[in-house]
Amino acid sequence: MTDAVLGSQPGWSMPKWRWLSSEHPLPWLLPASALMIVFGIYPLLYALWLSLHKRNPVTRLNVFDPHYNWAKALGDPRVWHAVSDTLLYTSTALVIQLLLGLLIALLLDTDRKGYGILRALMTLPLVVPPAVTGMMFLLMLDGSFGVLSRSLYAVGLLSPQYPILANSSTALAGVLLADIWQWTPFMVLIMLAGLRSLPKEPFEAAAIDGASSIQAFFKLTLPMMSKVIAIAVLIRGIDLFRIFDYVKVMTDSGPGTATETITSYAGRIYFNGDFPYASTLSLITLILVIVASTLFMKIFRVKL
Amino acid sequence: MEQSFAKRTLRDIAAVLTVAIFMFPLFWWALTSIKPMYAIFNKDEVVVFDFIPTLINYAVVLLGWSRATIAIESGSTFGVGGTSSYDSRQTIIDSIIIAVGSTTLTVIIAVLAAYALSRMRFRGRDGFLNWVLGQRFLPPIAIIVPLVGMYKVAGMRDTDNLFLGYIGLIFIHALMNLPIAVLLLKSFFDDVPKDVDEAAMIDGATRWQTFRKVVLPMVRGGVAAAAVLCFIFSWTEFLLSLFLTTIIRTVPVKITTFVTSTGSEWGFISALGTAAILPGFIFILLVQRHLVRGLTLGSLKE
Repeated sequence: MTDAVLGSQPGWSMPKWRWLSSEHPLPWLLPASALMIVFGIYPLLYALWLSLHKRNPVTRLNVFDPHYNWAKALGDPRVWHAVSDTLLYTSTALVIQLLLGLLIALLLDTDRKGYGILRALMTLPLVVPPAVTGMMFLLMLDGSFGVLSRSLYAVGLLSPQYPILANSSTALAGVLLADIWQWTPFMVLIMLAGLRSLPKEPFEAAAIDGASSIQAFFKLTLPMMSKVIAIAVLIRGIDLFRIFDYVKVMTDSGPGTATETITSYAGRIYFNGDFPYASTLSLITLILVIVASTLFMKIFRVKL
Repeated sequence: MEQSFAKRTLRDIAAVLTVAIFMFPLFWWALTSIKPMYAIFNKDEVVVFDFIPTLINYAVVLLGWSRATIAIESGSTFGVGGTSSYDSRQTIIDSIIIAVGSTTLTVIIAVLAAYALSRMRFRGRDGFLNWVLGQRFLPPIAIIVPLVGMYKVAGMRDTDNLFLGYIGLIFIHALMNLPIAVLLLKSFFDDVPKDVDEAAMIDGATRWQTFRKVVLPMVRGGVAAAAVLCFIFSWTEFLLSLFLTTIIRTVPVKITTFVTSTGSEWGFISALGTAAILPGFIFILLVQRHLVRGLTLGSLKE
């Protein structure tokens, strides 16, 4: 079908070179393909190749040993801990950001004067470099002079003896704060777009039938928003799963390994010089992302 | 639906309060950047407005004033963290080179691919779209580890050759931004009726001429939106730059080096941080209209 359609251009005299002309998709897609092959596919294959090698720490040579790294990863309690940390972080952040995002979107969804400015202000956190966001919260959560820490001390939610980021049971919550601040606006933005695209008629009909606004929300708004919500959760979930910046900046996986995620563990191994094992861990991250997102798309029937 | 005055006022208060909570960290950050040291590191009380504002932090990071001179002048060495350099002029230049370079590269490559994906029917079209989308799902950590090895072999690390170092980081940022640019631009091309192309081609224009002279001018707004988003994502990117470069330092990487084991220079950190946030703020207000479409890779429109 392809060639039939494209080849039907009248007056084309050199069919042999047709694929080099602008009538053929190849020249249009070639630059993008080249970029994705050289910097995407090739590194992945190289990572796979590396993961099948054992690094000799003394000679620093990689010796072929296909099972070594994968068996090591499966038997490494730190990997399991990092994966469970990542899952905990991702799911908590998703739930909080989605609920908050939906609530704030409902709050800001009105044509009244001044709300446009509020909506615009709400998007500002999105463009702050995540590393800078991490720093902001590191400053505000500082155990001795951080404004947020001191407010928490004042209301009794936190004790000065246990600074939030230095305590292994609360450190992850501290990192989450930064994530929630930065990415709830993402949810707000998408939910607002979803709310604005809803048809008016069902709501008018429901109001005539005497439905309360809460009933209308659960019976009409939520079901009609399900596609939008699914897309937002999918995109946000993928990004949350590979979380690195906040952890690196705020706790550097600490205290101990309390806030170590799979990406930050891979990063640590990488900086220690064990490229084969770091490659294995990064491939595990990739596999988990693919499995989780495919499952999600199948179950909720979303397509981007 | 007519709401009562009390209900409306309550909603206004809740809305303003919510947005204010989200603005507070930015306000505190900017405020910290003009505080003198004693106001930042006060362990007895939180200093909000009770200080003499200073621009010294900006002078150090943006104009390269010496940290030592200031310490001597103010007669205090409190909070001085190590010997790292706080002069960030080169860092800002590096960040601009990388962001502008990768944005240009991404938009040129993406606009071509997006046009073909929107206008041409060919075998493997869906496969190609999925490939692009899959790239967005790819965790950066999965490619950066082998990539460093590749660059080492190819002599493309910034320690081998500074110019190639820039090129290397520009390409990897372009790869990162390619999916969003391709899918966003495709959705803009899809909005242009195909009759436009057909009319031009019936008049004897080639595909390239149709694209260049007719369709591309019609999606200028989309190209601008894609460019702005690419710039922001490159400007804010941390992991890839951290792993790949040692001499070239983008702003997000440089700023983390101000945290030292002997103490963090919050004045300098917040000054550079505030300066680093501003371009993003200006740009995002420019593309407010297309933001949702960009962030959802063209699948949702506002």
